[in-house]
Amino acid sequence: MSKQNENPDLDESINVSEAHSSVVREAAACAREKRIVENGIAPVSLWAVVACGVVLLIAGGILGAGGNLFAYGSTYREGYVRTAPPGMADTGPVPKEALAAYMAKGAKIYSAKCNGCHGSDAKGNGSTFPTLVGSKWVLGETERFAMVILNGLQGPASTGNTYGVMPPQGIGMTPEDLAGIMTYVRNNFGNSVGDVVTTDMAKAAIETSAARKSAGNMVTAAELEAGHVKALAGEALDPKALLDPITLAPAKAP
Amino acid sequence: MSSANTTTSDQDALLRAGIDRSLRHPVMFFLTSGAAWLAVSIVLGILASAKVHSPEFLAGCSWLTYGRVFPAHINALIYGWGFQAAFGVLIWMMARLSRKECTAAGMILAAGHIWNLGVSLGLVGILAGFGTGMPWMEFPAFAWPVLLFSYIAILVWSFIQFRVRPAGHVYISQWYFLAAMIWFPWIYITANTLLHCLPGHPVMANGINAWFKSGVIFLFFTPVALGTAYYLAPKVTGQPVHSYSLARVGFWSLALIAPWAGMQKLLGAPIPYFLPYVGAAATVLLFVPLITAALNILRTSMSSPETLAASPSLRFMIAGITGLVVLVVAGVVLNLPGSTLPLTQFSMSGYGFEILAIYGFFSFVMFGAVYFIVPRVTRREWLSRRLMKIHFLFSVYGILTVALIALFGGLQQGIGQEDWQQPWQSAATRAYPYAVATTIAWCFILFSNIFFFLHLALMWLRLGRRSSHPTLLVAAHDHHSASPHGEEGDIDNAGPGHMPAH
Repeated sequence: MSKQNENPDLDESINVSEAHSSVVREAAACAREKRIVENGIAPVSLWAVVACGVVLLIAGGILGAGGNLFAYGSTYREGYVRTAPPGMADTGPVPKEALAAYMAKGAKIYSAKCNGCHGSDAKGNGSTFPTLVGSKWVLGETERFAMVILNGLQGPASTGNTYGVMPPQGIGMTPEDLAGIMTYVRNNFGNSVGDVVTTDMAKAAIETSAARKSAGNMVTAAELEAGHVKALAGEALDPKALLDPITLAPAKAP
Repeated sequence: MSSANTTTSDQDALLRAGIDRSLRHPVMFFLTSGAAWLAVSIVLGILASAKVHSPEFLAGCSWLTYGRVFPAHINALIYGWGFQAAFGVLIWMMARLSRKECTAAGMILAAGHIWNLGVSLGLVGILAGFGTGMPWMEFPAFAWPVLLFSYIAILVWSFIQFRVRPAGHVYISQWYFLAAMIWFPWIYITANTLLHCLPGHPVMANGINAWFKSGVIFLFFTPVALGTAYYLAPKVTGQPVHSYSLARVGFWSLALIAPWAGMQKLLGAPIPYFLPYVGAAATVLLFVPLITAALNILRTSMSSPETLAASPSLRFMIAGITGLVVLVVAGVVLNLPGSTLPLTQFSMSGYGFEILAIYGFFSFVMFGAVYFIVPRVTRREWLSRRLMKIHFLFSVYGILTVALIALFGGLQQGIGQEDWQQPWQSAATRAYPYAVATTIAWCFILFSNIFFFLHLALMWLRLGRRSSHPTLLVAAHDHHSASPHGEEGDIDNAGPGHMPAH
């Protein structure tokens, strides 16, 4: 060893003693590392196999409970009728004040039938679609308003300006729908008449509309002013009376 | 002992030292900034946890409301700490295993800064109220391409090293690392494209989000941590890996099962009915790949009890693998659709499970790797055994409390939620004591990690001990053993480098 240190072998690319001292100085942590050996061949423990087998069974049970690919049968019950839970009285839906109950119905009809032209703020666009906010026909006599909704309108509107043609909306509209939409528009978007157009009034409006001489055609301003400037027949409803929000029948306070 | 042998092992040590030197700056950058983000995340976690039981705490500041602090906490934990710790460990271990020096340290460092910038801007975005509201993807939409780009710029060099490596054999850790490096971009691109670029039905978007969360845990953090543990266990003990065939079973079953997990969180939601059940079954089945890997690593480490007692890397790594065992058992117990899943679906159990995975399992293994890697890349030994012990004990107590409380408190909370005849308040009342304990436990973890960060920062400044003796958890049996801070008598003594590895 000592001879080698005095006369390092010129064929060797590395001076052993120099390299070794540099290793212990600069790479001590690397030098003391151990080599990785990976080829252990210990047998797999029986307990591990048993535990994995139990878990496989559990997982199989979960998959089995999953049923078919798109089996909605267990989350969606066809023909489901709302019933009271066991041991509880069926209280039904919570009653609402009449105005709010009618307006909630009307909001749905508005977004389905009116929103497209008159807009979500009911201001129309000023040229082809008139505003409903502050309109004399909306806020005024209810029969005139009902006739426009049910039959549509051609020619000039309440301001005297002619906008586009309003198509009839009455097809398939129930008295409940008509009462809701009228109450909603008359009490929303800045309008605040404060009264409720009841389903009885709406029923009367639908009858009046069917009995028109020119039934099936759109109404005009002239026809409205001639025969429809009156309130719809029917008993007025206190806007604060409590109603069942689904059926709109009178309800008792809970 | 022949001189030829000495020369080979010296050359070998010099090669390893060269690899370490080539990666010093990127590795230390990732580990240190990761540790800093970890501390930030824990502070945010304490704030979020305190708001669960004391809602009026800091309620006046909109930047610190629960809806912003909680996502900031979890995103800082994942992208600030988790990914950066993974980057530091991945690039170092891939270089070591491929036996190639890194030639792109500058590029990696630059990409690491871009990653940090992305995380910082994303967190500011969340706190300013621009979070997306998608769990674990709350960063505003600008952040994900930045993170993806820097991810690729950081890790592509490890692929290149792997391609040009001298030997043909592929070690177990390399399987896991390569898989993790490919799996993460897959789930990240899939989830972000489907949620940000091609938004579909919001219910299904929720399902994709749940799948992404599960994927980050089981397709990135888990393989990275297992690869690291498979590196550390035989390296530190010098014993062969317990069973090679068990390792193969563990890897391939993970690859087959993990991508299916996640959608069980949408049990009862109107998505295709089998998806939640497949998710639950896959999460339960993850028991098989993870318990086999844990068993293999534990048996390998246990074969050398002396090293186990002395080595900080091994102690942290074993604690992490123990966390993995708890995690997989909890995965089975909490995901039974008929009984426990409805209780844990919307309660704090989910959070407990995630924290157990990220901190109790992944982070502990990363700490083990940090204690192994840093002395090599800085060529300084850890300063203080006491700091290591503080880090270990407070972390263990903290994570045990956070995870177990969130798991079982979550069950209590779930029972309260399911009892629909009681007001919602009763579920909150059931969860209250657990929420208080969680805050206290996070304070323990913060305490432990402030010491960890300081210790690491001192090492980064190269203020570690200059010694050829490692800092071990128990004093070596010689006359130097009196000092609690290790072998200070050996400072720069260039003594024989034959102490056991740590």
